[in-house]
Amino acid sequence: MPLLRLTSGTFGQLRTFATSSALGKRVKTFAVYRWNPDEPDKKPYTQNFEVDLDDCAPMVLDALLKIKNEMDPTLTFRRSCREGVCGSCAMNIDGVNTLACISHIDHNLSKPTKVYPLPHMYVVKDLVPDLTNFYRQYQSIEPWLQRDNEAVKGKETQLLQDVEDRAKLDGLYECVLCACCSTSCPSYWWNGDKYLGPAVLMQAYRWIIDSRDDATSKRLSNLKDTYSVYRCHTIMNCTRTCPKGLNPGRAIAQIKTLLSGMVKKQSPIMDPAGLQKQSASN
Amino acid sequence: MNFYCCARLSNKSLLGSLAKLRPALRTAQYAQSATVPKISFKPYEPPKDEHFDLKNERLNRPMSPHLTIYKPQLTSLLSVTHRAAGMILSGYITALGVGALVLPNDVAHYVTMIEGLNLSPATIFLAKACLAAPLGYHFANGIRHLYWDTAKGLTIKEVYSTGYAMLAGAVAISLFLAAL
Repeated sequence: MPLLRLTSGTFGQLRTFATSSALGKRVKTFAVYRWNPDEPDKKPYTQNFEVDLDDCAPMVLDALLKIKNEMDPTLTFRRSCREGVCGSCAMNIDGVNTLACISHIDHNLSKPTKVYPLPHMYVVKDLVPDLTNFYRQYQSIEPWLQRDNEAVKGKETQLLQDVEDRAKLDGLYECVLCACCSTSCPSYWWNGDKYLGPAVLMQAYRWIIDSRDDATSKRLSNLKDTYSVYRCHTIMNCTRTCPKGLNPGRAIAQIKTLLSGMVKKQSPIMDPAGLQKQSASN
Repeated sequence: MNFYCCARLSNKSLLGSLAKLRPALRTAQYAQSATVPKISFKPYEPPKDEHFDLKNERLNRPMSPHLTIYKPQLTSLLSVTHRAAGMILSGYITALGVGALVLPNDVAHYVTMIEGLNLSPATIFLAKACLAAPLGYHFANGIRHLYWDTAKGLTIKEVYSTGYAMLAGAVAISLFLAAL
């Protein structure tokens, strides 16, 4: 046992020796936006942190966590899944909105990596924006399945959907509502109170074209005003920035074609209530 | 602990001071708490529906930086140029309209006036190209936007390729108009 302890210590020493002297220190500067509500007299500022990249995992979120753990525990940001699934760590990194957990640290050591909260949002603290308005807008499009004849509780049957109809939802349902796209959109910056923004509109489209949903005309008429959809000027910053590789810009254009009547929603290939009718006739 | 909670619930200073003697009074705490059933309830009030902007302004929250920190990208640059070109074009229309209304002579008079300045052909060509550029750009990008309105050509790859093609087209149109 003492021998084991001795050897493990030696290995540990060897390891630290290898990382500290054999490899040169690669120090990357992170310029992080700071604002603390408890210091109301202090204006927002950027603070520089120096991170040794040889002692840090590869993603920007790893660097932020390292800063928080080892340098400044007051640094505040949202994070949860650390693998691009939850959408919590959305922020503006080097001028582009993305998820910190799936964006690699830029290994160019001469330039600092700039980290800001999502653009044109009220800041709660440091990198945490107030997303209340964004969530309310999401609520306003009623993001749930609506049927003319809701199934009686306890007697629900599965709704049928053809594979082809289901495929229409691909590229829409994957959205994690990180708000990267909405906050990259200049139209949303200037009209965020009345314009719904790309993320919410893509979800609106997701429910409009769902073959099982009966509320299509209601959903479309709710969007028929000068602001909700039509503040989109096809700038396409949204699609450019989406960390999940989705295309909200195209979804908005598709809503516009439906609103103008250029395109009609196709009737479902498979009757969604097929099983319901079958069980009723039996 | 129970006793301590009771002391916190009631406002009686006696209990508050008793709480300090907690270890000594441990045996007495149940008897004491039974005599103090004073718990006041407040009916639930939903949080006040405060306007999003007003709430944030009350909390003095700053607006995060936007235009100044967002990376300039082809997508947004072409869009803002389209708008600028459109504004310049409406400026042309206004200038021509107001000019026709107010100025004493017609256009031909001013064209001969400029010809009388004896400018070099290169300068004239450059000036014409500058005048024609907003029209060329707005026309070429307008076609791109009309194509987009059919919900086609909206992948990022297509947006970039049509963007560069449109720029080439805009230059060609401007040069063609300048050469007239």
